[in-house]
Amino acid sequence: MDGRIGISHLEKVYGEGSERTKAIDDLSFDIDGGEFTSVVGPSGCGKSTLLYIIAGFLDITNGTVSVDGTPIDGPGTDRGVVFQDYALFPWRTVKENVLYGLEEAGVPDEEADATAQRFIDMMDLSGFENKYPKELSGGMKQRVALARTLAYDPKILLMDEPFGALDQPLRETLQDQLIDIWGDLDKTVVFITHDVEEAVYLSERVMIMTRHPGTKKTVTEVDLDRSRPREDIVTSEEFTRKKNEVWRSLREETKSEVQP
Amino acid sequence: MDVDVRSLDASSVVDSLKSIYSLVLLLVLWEVVTRMGLIYPYFLPQLSVVIDEFVLLVSSGQMIHAAYLTLMRAFVGLAGAAVAGVVIGILCARNALFEWFFDPIIKIGYPVPVISLVPVFMLWFGIGDVSKIIMVVVGTFWPVAVNARDATRQVDRNLIRSARMMGTGDRRLLWRVILPAASPGIFTGLQIATPIALIITFVFEMVAGGGGLGALEIAGVRGFNSAQTYAVIFAIIAIGLVLDRLLRAARTRLLDWT
Repeated sequence: MDGRIGISHLEKVYGEGSERTKAIDDLSFDIDGGEFTSVVGPSGCGKSTLLYIIAGFLDITNGTVSVDGTPIDGPGTDRGVVFQDYALFPWRTVKENVLYGLEEAGVPDEEADATAQRFIDMMDLSGFENKYPKELSGGMKQRVALARTLAYDPKILLMDEPFGALDQPLRETLQDQLIDIWGDLDKTVVFITHDVEEAVYLSERVMIMTRHPGTKKTVTEVDLDRSRPREDIVTSEEFTRKKNEVWRSLREETKSEVQP
Repeated sequence: MDVDVRSLDASSVVDSLKSIYSLVLLLVLWEVVTRMGLIYPYFLPQLSVVIDEFVLLVSSGQMIHAAYLTLMRAFVGLAGAAVAGVVIGILCARNALFEWFFDPIIKIGYPVPVISLVPVFMLWFGIGDVSKIIMVVVGTFWPVAVNARDATRQVDRNLIRSARMMGTGDRRLLWRVILPAASPGIFTGLQIATPIALIITFVFEMVAGGGGLGALEIAGVRGFNSAQTYAVIFAIIAIGLVLDRLLRAARTRLLDWT
């Protein structure tokens, strides 16, 4: 399946001379096509840097990052990014935002319109097509951002703490929606979060990163039956065990922050 | 224009007068004080005399022609400054070489009271339309350029990243993302520049003549017909008000997403 991400001996250094700081050090990690992977780590561990490197926004200092075997060279439509701050085009309505990627791809108007409407409906945004982003709540904005990204059909979804600014009930709704989408659309998902429960609930694998410079610390495989309702999953023994495993590993890193 | 007759009944007239009651009071005071002969008429003629003069100047076509000259000079100049200011402002924000070259120039140029350069412009370009228009361009370029530059710099980086991710190339990025995202700031620059364009035109016309409202206004003082001066001031106030309202209306309409 397409959408494989290969990260090999990745090193990222910011700045020069005395300003030089190593954000990521010797990180190797492979993500299969269609896999849902979360990345957790203490703040400043370079998890967002990692995501932006995969997105093609940032240069690599050393090592390689590739998608389906091809080294990444800048942003591209094989990947889609969902930001915490939504990054919707404020001058475009909901519908026009969702249409953007399709317009850029040169999809004929009628087909683009149908596709956009499909994802608007999928994200429960029907009736809001002609609203501007300023008229929407945070949760709805993030739904529009997801619909906009899904509409142009990238193989890989890169999500940078997408639900971090939302309140708990809304987060849970969007998490469940994301699981459904992931199940239906076969996307590779790389999900950055600092919320252990969110990471375990959503992903098949959770990568915990070391503090500074960031690199792969441990990887926890999570094999939950996600077709069950949320309350069954979060109260299951398996879920609690995995959550504690990730939490303990992460805890070691945050502790080292307090005790130098 | 649609005029709703019902809105013209007595109570609504009273309402609209109430909203500007202090102005009405001042105008009444003006008429009373001048009628009582408390002020030498050459300094301040009676309001009713000024209104008569205004009507005369408008009906004879003099005021219309003068307003046309002034507005033409101000807006041709403003259009030039808008194009140059937006282009250079955006280039400064997006290109290091342009920033290196223009930033110091803008830093020095913006605070210069451009009116002080009128004699130089007369020396170089004469006293005709061209001279006035160039002066308006030079005077209004700065606020347009600075606002365009700052608005472009402040475009949310993640908007640009999102667009690139969705396949927008370098050249299209300007039209697809940067211009629309910066348009509120660019519009602000134009709103600031519009009264400046009018001020420059009025002053230049007063100093150098060549027709226009400024020339007509100062001719009143020089020709011992101060009613003409005040009538032109009324016209200038009206033009300023109408332009301000038009720009605000255009802003709400064009930038309803902000």
